[in-house]
Amino acid sequence: MLQTIKDIIDILSAPTVSFTFLTVAFPFVFPPTDWFEKIHRKFGIWRLWTKPGFYGGMFAITFFFVVGYFDPNFHVTLTKADNFPIILMIYSMFITIWWSMYQAYLNDERLENGLKPNEYNDPDDKVLVWPDLVYIEFIALILFMVFLIVWSILVAAPLEEPANPAATPNPSKAPWYFLGLQEMLVYFDPWIAGIVFPMFIIIGMMAIPYMDINKKGDGYYSFKERRIGMFIFMYGWLVLWLFLIVIGTFFRGPNWNFFGPFEYWDAHKVVPLNNVNLSEYIWVKTLGTGLPANILIREGIGFLVLVAYMGILPILLAKSWLKNYFQEIGPVRYTFIMLFGLSMLALPIKMYMRWLFNLKYIIAIPEWFFNI
Amino acid sequence: MFKNDERYWNIHQLNKWFAISSILFMASFVWMFFDDNDDEYKVYQRNFRQLEIQMAEAELAEELEAVKIERVSYEEKAQDAQNILDSKTHLADSLESRLVTLKGIFYKHNMDYQGQKSQIDALKYLVEKDNTHGVTHGDDHSVENRQTFENANILLHDYKLKKEATETDIDETELLIKEMNRAVKASTEDLNQVLADVQLVQNKLEKIDRKHMSFMNKVGDLVRDLPILDFMNPYYKVKQIVVPDIKYNVNFTQVPSVDRCTSCHLGITNPDFVDAAQPYRTHPNLDTFLSSASPHPMSDFGCTGCHSGRARGTSFVSAVHMPNSEEEKVRWEKEYDWEQMHHWLQPMLPTNYTEASCFKCHQKEAYINDADQLTLGLSLIEKSGCNGCHLIQRYQERRKAGPDLAKVSEKLDKNWTAKWIKAPRSFRHNTRMPHFFGQDNNSSPEMTKRNDTEIIAMVEYLFPDGKEVSTKNDHLFMGDAVNGEDLFNALGCRGCHIVEPDEKMISEDISIESILKDHGPNLIGLGSKGSAEWVYNWIKNPSEYWPGTRMPDLRLSDQEAKDITAYLRSFTNPDFEAMENIELDKNQLDKIAFGWLSKMNTEAFAKSSLANMSHDEKIDYVADKSFRYYGCFGCHNIPGYEDAKPIGTELTFEGSKPVDKLDFGYIHDIEHVNHAWFKRKLENPRIFDYGKESPAEDKLRMPNFGFSDIEVEALVTAILSFSEKEVSTKMLADQYVSDELVYEGRKLIKEFNCQGCHIIDDFGGQIVDVIGPPDLSPPNLNTQGRKTQPSWLFKFFNSPTTIRPNLQVRMPSFNMTDDQWNSIIRSFQYSDNQLLAYETDHSVSIDAKYKAGEKLASADFGACNNCHFYGATFPIQGAQAWAPNLAMAKDRLRADWIVDWLNDPMVIMPGTKMPAPFLPTPDLFEDDYAADIYGKHLIALDGDTTAMLEGIRDFIWDMKGQKDISGIVKNYFNENGYKFGEEESDDDEDEWDDEDEW
Repeated sequence: MLQTIKDIIDILSAPTVSFTFLTVAFPFVFPPTDWFEKIHRKFGIWRLWTKPGFYGGMFAITFFFVVGYFDPNFHVTLTKADNFPIILMIYSMFITIWWSMYQAYLNDERLENGLKPNEYNDPDDKVLVWPDLVYIEFIALILFMVFLIVWSILVAAPLEEPANPAATPNPSKAPWYFLGLQEMLVYFDPWIAGIVFPMFIIIGMMAIPYMDINKKGDGYYSFKERRIGMFIFMYGWLVLWLFLIVIGTFFRGPNWNFFGPFEYWDAHKVVPLNNVNLSEYIWVKTLGTGLPANILIREGIGFLVLVAYMGILPILLAKSWLKNYFQEIGPVRYTFIMLFGLSMLALPIKMYMRWLFNLKYIIAIPEWFFNI
Repeated sequence: MFKNDERYWNIHQLNKWFAISSILFMASFVWMFFDDNDDEYKVYQRNFRQLEIQMAEAELAEELEAVKIERVSYEEKAQDAQNILDSKTHLADSLESRLVTLKGIFYKHNMDYQGQKSQIDALKYLVEKDNTHGVTHGDDHSVENRQTFENANILLHDYKLKKEATETDIDETELLIKEMNRAVKASTEDLNQVLADVQLVQNKLEKIDRKHMSFMNKVGDLVRDLPILDFMNPYYKVKQIVVPDIKYNVNFTQVPSVDRCTSCHLGITNPDFVDAAQPYRTHPNLDTFLSSASPHPMSDFGCTGCHSGRARGTSFVSAVHMPNSEEEKVRWEKEYDWEQMHHWLQPMLPTNYTEASCFKCHQKEAYINDADQLTLGLSLIEKSGCNGCHLIQRYQERRKAGPDLAKVSEKLDKNWTAKWIKAPRSFRHNTRMPHFFGQDNNSSPEMTKRNDTEIIAMVEYLFPDGKEVSTKNDHLFMGDAVNGEDLFNALGCRGCHIVEPDEKMISEDISIESILKDHGPNLIGLGSKGSAEWVYNWIKNPSEYWPGTRMPDLRLSDQEAKDITAYLRSFTNPDFEAMENIELDKNQLDKIAFGWLSKMNTEAFAKSSLANMSHDEKIDYVADKSFRYYGCFGCHNIPGYEDAKPIGTELTFEGSKPVDKLDFGYIHDIEHVNHAWFKRKLENPRIFDYGKESPAEDKLRMPNFGFSDIEVEALVTAILSFSEKEVSTKMLADQYVSDELVYEGRKLIKEFNCQGCHIIDDFGGQIVDVIGPPDLSPPNLNTQGRKTQPSWLFKFFNSPTTIRPNLQVRMPSFNMTDDQWNSIIRSFQYSDNQLLAYETDHSVSIDAKYKAGEKLASADFGACNNCHFYGATFPIQGAQAWAPNLAMAKDRLRADWIVDWLNDPMVIMPGTKMPAPFLPTPDLFEDDYAADIYGKHLIALDGDTTAMLEGIRDFIWDMKGQKDISGIVKNYFNENGYKFGEEESDDDEDEWDDEDEW
């Protein structure tokens, strides 16, 4: 029975399945529109953000780790000192997200009933910066120091012997906080996954207050009043960042092959990698000729796709589906929102194109080290 | 300040939380300190200190017990002296107080004197300035200055006298005091002398045991090890040895090794801890290692230079200890929470394999002392021909391990050869020829067919002319097998060969000694192999068939050769004969040829090439591919493959190969460490193909040598010794040997198995087990380097003559070059520290010494002629006691050596029957008839032993007569036979009688 569950989890946790599942399920958990909201309510998914939901979630996570601890294969990954922060991260993320969503839902209910948000009714929840806030933060700081000291005493730092260029570990993993980036490198060239995307993430987050001019929901928890923004952010944060870290930590084994959590990390495992560029799809597979010698002609379609995606698509959207939104926020904000939003969306799109069509690059110009 | 109502939070509540968190923080901080300071090595050091205290206390008790009685009288004496002194208290006190006063006075006078001296220095300057500069301007004070200077000098003199007078007073008083205390001091010194050993232990205890410390020392002992303060001079500290000549490779740079092992292995150089528990136990071989008098002192070699491991590790796990066995591993995991630090590239060598490290510095030695397992492994590499296929730069192939196959068609027939190639051990159970076929990865019916076809193709190549060996003339070459057996046992064949048809009789206990006797093949089944004609010709003159063979020529007569041939041909192997002949499969032939063709060419080309090949061409092609695939030329000379490249992995640095570069395949029940891999590979070379789907051309092909467990362990040690760890040149053992030829000579001695017959450097001579009495076996070559003249030895090697006429065993004629003989001679000379090639001739004058020697050698005394030939003059005693011809001594021996030899033959050649000559002592000359008995010359020497021995030497040296008595001896034995063995019991009695005479 337990073995069957493990096998199912192994199958489900394949990135194709789990990523798709998360992507599909996500709008039902953080419903961005009324339609999703309806289903969210109908199937009781909203209960996740209630107290029973909290216990259920905590139980599910704990159950997974406990079963994993007693599984000979998962045990190895789970008990590595390097992976301890990931376990903490999963718990802390669930707890903090649940806590904010729980309060947001309470407030949403109040707002619906014409009441003010909880925060307005409860002066006890206000603090003075001096001395209250500073004092509390100071106590928190001390307690956190205690936690770090005890952690460092109990779990020895996973320091290893001097690196040896002749004997690199397999798999070679980045520090846990970079595993999301390392996962992106599977799908993108280093200059995109390692430079452009991280820069966009940082600049994009700095730009959020300038792009999101929704005045509602300031100073109190609320989901309904800014559900689209929260949906987009949470998808980027949870699925496109944290989930990739979890994959990188627990599911990537020797040769960067994918392994389910309960699977043995067999270094002999071979996965065929026959990835094909878009230009090869067009010229070789569809038109049945060789690749044109001229690089620009060869990669012309790729450039067209890129221009269509980043240039034409926003204009079409502004004219049709997002017409009201475009008028509301103006062309400058719209441009930046599209730039960051479409870049973010490019990650799952590329992942799916890889999984579905073995697509390697949309534009492939290794001659110039320019691949997208 | 803020009023409380301005806050939304309850400050008291926060204060409480602040208090709680602060206490927690403090607690965690203290915990951190404890955790940080409680290193594993400190625990060991504390325990060791207790152990040392216990031992010191026991020692103290012992020492006290030892002086218990003796000390009483000394203590009494000391007490008496003290009592006398005490009775003179009054006088002593007055002297003491006088001394104090005098010292006070001296202090004053001395100060006056020193003060005045500095005044004078200043005045002196003024006067000197006046002397040289004269007066430039202003008033002239020179006269005045000089006057002051002189007055000051007078005053100084006055002070000086006063000071000196007081000094004398002080000295006198001190002398009086000393005189008074003399008796007490002397008796106390005597007592201390008696208690010296006790004091030594007490001092030690005061240093290590707090119970014996003064209060302040107790405090100091506690404080020195407190956290932070322990940066100064703690008791518990990391102990390290920096070894600049042994380098540790940290990628891109080499740093000196820093060994911290002694932080826990605290008793390693102290012989008192032989029985202590680890980690305190003494090193098991202090004579060779660690002690300052040994060749490997700890300060120069450290620990990890030999043991490897993580030198800077200060805990059991971080030093990367490695277990010897699975049981040890389990025990370590329980006791020490052991786990392997798997990224450390040089884990400690399990103690089974520590000898592997010797090779780093001892690369050229034929035998590495105290490293028998490594020597065995290296020997096996040569014997099995490992370095024929695997390049080992520091241990290169010196000769092909297997026989020359250039003329194999004269020796063998095709069917026999094919069956042999397929399964050599089914013919000769302990052959070194390995099994390529019928292994784990090629024993399927399909592979067997393929392999059979390959074998036939290779055999066809080796027998190009199609001529077959015939046995129809066998009777012409076979004599008396019984006599043949006697000759085989007596002439020295067994120095290198055994004849043992029974597999079970071969000892599993293989060692560097045991391999001496199977230097050559086990000579069984020769009746089922080749022809008598070939055997006859081979033993008559081995180098005719194979010019490079190590098999020497025993100068057999035709009849001897025939008898031995008959004996060897009497061993047959019916099972092998009954085995089915191996057949070639044409389909397989095509398939193999096509497989190789298409590996390098397009399939179309392969097809057309194959279609154009005749059957013979296909056979040639497949034979060529097979030779190259199996690497036969690694061990055999095969015409056409003289320059073929060896096929195996290079093993030059195999011992340092990272474990992830070794392919464990699908074998999981094995430790992921290199030695486990090597071991498994040697036990079953194809094991790592298990479960793999490889095409026939890509399968593992290392053959199975059928190594025993001991051999495998030895080989693993040798492979581990091929390490890339660097040591500086001055560490290399060959830096201390002046001549390259010495190593070459020792290698040749090993290669030609001289130690199969002779004891050389206290090793070898196993043939004595077959022959029996040591005096009828080949001689012990101890002191050979200073025994014989190099020029004689060289001549003897090239053309051996009879030296010991009582030996039936023969010194063979080896087919060696002048270079090789020179190397061997040089290695003998080096061992005896006699490196001269040319020496002044020893000249003999017929003087009293000579005459005395003549007398001592005469029948009255030494009776040398009893056993020794005097030229062509036969010895008086029977053939069994015969000894070398003394007329040969002048050409053969070195004059100095003869004296040493005569002085005590047993020292030079243990077990020799040569007695030390009788030398009269001067008291014997007092006898009335002394002059008649001893002669005036001997009496004149007056018992000077050296002179008498030199006299005998000179007598021998001057002996004239026939030098080479080979012919005479041979004729004698031809006429009288050589039958000592049968009369052994009688001879023993005779020997006793002989000795009684002495």
